[in-house]
Amino acid sequence: MLAEKYAERIQKIFSKYPDKRSAVMPLLYVAQEEFGWVSPEAIEEVAVLCEIDPTQVKSIAGFYTMYSEKPKGKYWLQVCTDFPCALRGADQFHQALLDHLGIEEGGTTEDGLFTVEHVMCLAACDKAPMLQCNFHYVENLDMDKMKALLDQWRADAKDSAAD
Amino acid sequence: MVTIYIDGVGYEVPAGTNLVDVAKFYADNDIPVFCYHPKMAPVGMCRMCLVEMGSVEKDKESGTVLLDEQGSPKIRWMPKMQTACTQTVYDGLAIRTNTQQVTEAREDIVEFLLTSHPLDCPICDKGGECPLQNLTMRHGPGVSVFYFEDKMHLAKHVPLGELIYLDRERCIQCARCIRFSDELAGDDVLAFHERGRALQIVTVSDPPFDSKFSGNTTDICPVGALTTADFRFGARPWELKEVPSIDPYGPEGANISLSTRLDRDSGGGIIIKRVMPRQNEHVNEIWISDKTRFGHHHTRHIDRLVTPLHREKNTLIETTWDKAFKQIIDKLKGATSVGAIAGPGLSNEDLWELRQLVLAVGGSEKSLGIWPATMSGGEVVKQVGIAKGSNFNTMGKGTVIVLVATDLEEEAPIWWLRAKAARDRGATVVVLNGRPTKMDRYAKFSLRHEYGDAVGAINSLTAHIVNGNHHKADRAEGFAELQKALKKVKADDRYAAAAEAIAGADNVVVFCGAEGVTLAQHAELMQACANVLILTGHVGRTNNGLIPVWPGANTQGAIDLGYTAEATAELLQNPPAVLIVAGCNPVGEDIAAANLRNADFVIVTSQFDTATTAIADVVLPQQSFAEREGTFTSGERRVQRFYAAQGVIGESFPDWKIFAQVRHAIDKSTAKVSAGAVMAEITKSVAAYSAMGYKNLAQVERQFPDVGGTDQYYGGTAYQNTGGIGVQWPVSAENAEAKLNVVPVSSEKSKAKGLLVVPTTLLYDRGMLFVRSEIMSLRIPPAHANFSPADAQKLKLQDGDMVEINLEGASLTVQIIVNETIPAGVITLPKCLSDQPGPFAPMVAGSIEKVAQALAATGD
Ligand code: SF4
Ligand code: FES
Ligand code: FES
Repeated sequence: MLAEKYAERIQKIFSKYPDKRSAVMPLLYVAQEEFGWVSPEAIEEVAVLCEIDPTQVKSIAGFYTMYSEKPKGKYWLQVCTDFPCALRGADQFHQALLDHLGIEEGGTTEDGLFTVEHVMCLAACDKAPMLQCNFHYVENLDMDKMKALLDQWRADAKDSAAD
Repeated sequence: MVTIYIDGVGYEVPAGTNLVDVAKFYADNDIPVFCYHPKMAPVGMCRMCLVEMGSVEKDKESGTVLLDEQGSPKIRWMPKMQTACTQTVYDGLAIRTNTQQVTEAREDIVEFLLTSHPLDCPICDKGGECPLQNLTMRHGPGVSVFYFEDKMHLAKHVPLGELIYLDRERCIQCARCIRFSDELAGDDVLAFHERGRALQIVTVSDPPFDSKFSGNTTDICPVGALTTADFRFGARPWELKEVPSIDPYGPEGANISLSTRLDRDSGGGIIIKRVMPRQNEHVNEIWISDKTRFGHHHTRHIDRLVTPLHREKNTLIETTWDKAFKQIIDKLKGATSVGAIAGPGLSNEDLWELRQLVLAVGGSEKSLGIWPATMSGGEVVKQVGIAKGSNFNTMGKGTVIVLVATDLEEEAPIWWLRAKAARDRGATVVVLNGRPTKMDRYAKFSLRHEYGDAVGAINSLTAHIVNGNHHKADRAEGFAELQKALKKVKADDRYAAAAEAIAGADNVVVFCGAEGVTLAQHAELMQACANVLILTGHVGRTNNGLIPVWPGANTQGAIDLGYTAEATAELLQNPPAVLIVAGCNPVGEDIAAANLRNADFVIVTSQFDTATTAIADVVLPQQSFAEREGTFTSGERRVQRFYAAQGVIGESFPDWKIFAQVRHAIDKSTAKVSAGAVMAEITKSVAAYSAMGYKNLAQVERQFPDVGGTDQYYGGTAYQNTGGIGVQWPVSAENAEAKLNVVPVSSEKSKAKGLLVVPTTLLYDRGMLFVRSEIMSLRIPPAHANFSPADAQKLKLQDGDMVEINLEGASLTVQIIVNETIPAGVITLPKCLSDQPGPFAPMVAGSIEKVAQALAATGD
């Protein structure tokens, strides 16, 4: 339950708004961080917290692309393939990454670690090719750098699983 | 009034109205719309209503309109087209709707909407009354530049709950359904999900699409995207004959159309295929509750009684009308005492003939009872009932709406809807009850009193009004005594602000129910409400007065014709030798009716076998409201006609005919041959009904906004009111000379110790008629009682436990719900949820025993 696990954080979020329903978006982020995606249960929980109908919460989760209503890998890689990035080989980079991981666009690796998705301009055109991993920018990429990063993330995941 | 110009012609129209509505009403110019609906705020989403728009040029100094060479007003046009639906009319507004630019815009929008529309009109329920279909025929380009193969294909049978289905392909994303549910019904259970081409309607509420008004979205959906489970693939609109009728369940008198046709399912007889709202801007506008819409299945249910029955060797067996009549006539002739209990769905004609019969065989008005017998105060209504001509549509800022002892959405959903709309326009809502209800969300003052002390709560209001010198006593007869009595009332401070709001308001409407109130207290409660209204001068004027939230569709009519709940109470105490129970099931519903078994001879008219027919000596098959003509009187005292729609089931007869024939056999009076003839007699005998002849009641008027008509602009012809808008009878307060009685009332709180069981009313219950509509079965909750957390803890009970509640000789087994809105010391027990009778009046519970444990909670 989010309410127990993040009691303090949720309280802080509520304190920023005049009424509870206004806190729905930050709470959806809390849920997404916790579960990796916005599950129907998460929607239900946020609805109870904000005292609104779950239908309204689902509507918001569906409208904004940064909420995912499908399960994602632990690392959600969003590769920009918009025009300026494409000029610097983002399409090829995107494809190479997919091939390397052995998945299709939008898919998740079998170990549940990586999801790759192409997205529109992320406003880092000057550092293309780039992607964001769980909303953190990783810039000036090529496949060598990328492979190193993937290895590092795999290792991190193993460590955190060990604790 | 302001002047506007449409295609060069000037029209005088009311200021502040919507351009689309006035163009249609005054200029007969149908500006096409998809997202706009006259009953909801415009959103300007679909762009179908684009027109050229401008303003007349006026001389700066004199303000006179400047004319061009031809003598028509000079107009300054805006460079681009504007949406007509978002425009309120103002003096000098001009539009052009017949130019090439406008025509092309309309073609483009239709073409755009059809890019992904499945065009499956031949199998679509809406086909034939579909705004998209009609507007495409009128404004569509006929061809498309888009590739057919590019159409998106989406799910076509998505249940939004068990009542409403969504066809995703057909939806044009106008959001009418969402806006209705959210803005009007206050149920934010529908929403858009995703965006762009992926946009779709969703509900994830529990139960899904949880709204008592959900069916209305299928009426206002401009395409066939929303359909009801009840009517889906049931018939084509053009095969249907719309018969005007009245909601048989609620006191609001909602106007409905019964869409009928000859049908295979009835062996070729005429049956109801669906129930639709019929426009009556005075009553229900274009809305009905789901109970009204889906609760019609009893009319042709397989269990309908089809022949008379009589008792032989302790069982009821079939008999003929002749034999049944003979038995009844013999009994009535020799009866030492006679009494009648009339159900909530009897028409005025039925009630009149029943009354005449009872009086003809030696009964008196004291032996005419109503069912359910929970409310009193007919005399108060005669004085200060809501004034004739009042209309919730015209209430807003300056109006105070007071709800007393009622859960209005459950008891009278249409009044709830309209009161809430008035509140959204600026009216102030005051709620006085023992627990919060849905209206409390919208109330400025939510005032809680102890159950049993409703009269005390209203007295507090009165005391504040008088103590603060906010009162006008000029019309109040008996004011001196009231003032004296008020000295003893301790005015609770919590009521001060509300009292001030009521006293200072332009208009005040009071809804008075009977939740937590005994019958004896209810007479006082109605008077207490009258005191407030009279002393603040909120009587006799439009949009002022009292609306009793009667328990039945025609309780008002019964009271007008001399029936009372007090008489019922007396009949339950001392059953007469011969008892007639017409169209109700007291024995199955109310524990206080058990005594009726002691009547020597019981005659019951009924549509179904019930616990009451089980004690009968003769049972007569009664017609449902759909098979016959008649009139109901709403809680706003509007007498309205309903018409025969469906073929007669079995050998059933209307009650008025049954009673008229019996009386004819006894006193040789002429038995009337039509309901209209019965009403003609009522008009001569009952002063208030002198204008209620069938011709008057059938008068119609052109209604604004124009939503129903053969042009099929907002949907089908069902909205069209061809049956009459009804006639209200005036109350005495409307005569400015009349003195009005204010009477001191005091509340007698029960001294008994223990938990107080308060019966409440739910819209969806197991009443003998409604329960036959199986489509609603999932919405009827199981028999349950609500306990406060404190009491549950004290009794070591958990949510979901089954308990036995013992009450004055009866015991009920129900599931408990631990509910934090219930005050400590109180159990609320919804009426008519099981086959066991329950209490209809608040009473103190005896022992409460747990009989079964809650199922262990699932999950973690
Ligand atoms: S379902 Fe009907 S009313 Fe609702 S948005 Fe779609 S077209 Fe409009
Ligand atoms: S185009 Fe890739 S970040 Fe702007
Ligand atoms: S009707 Fe849709 S924009 Fe006006």
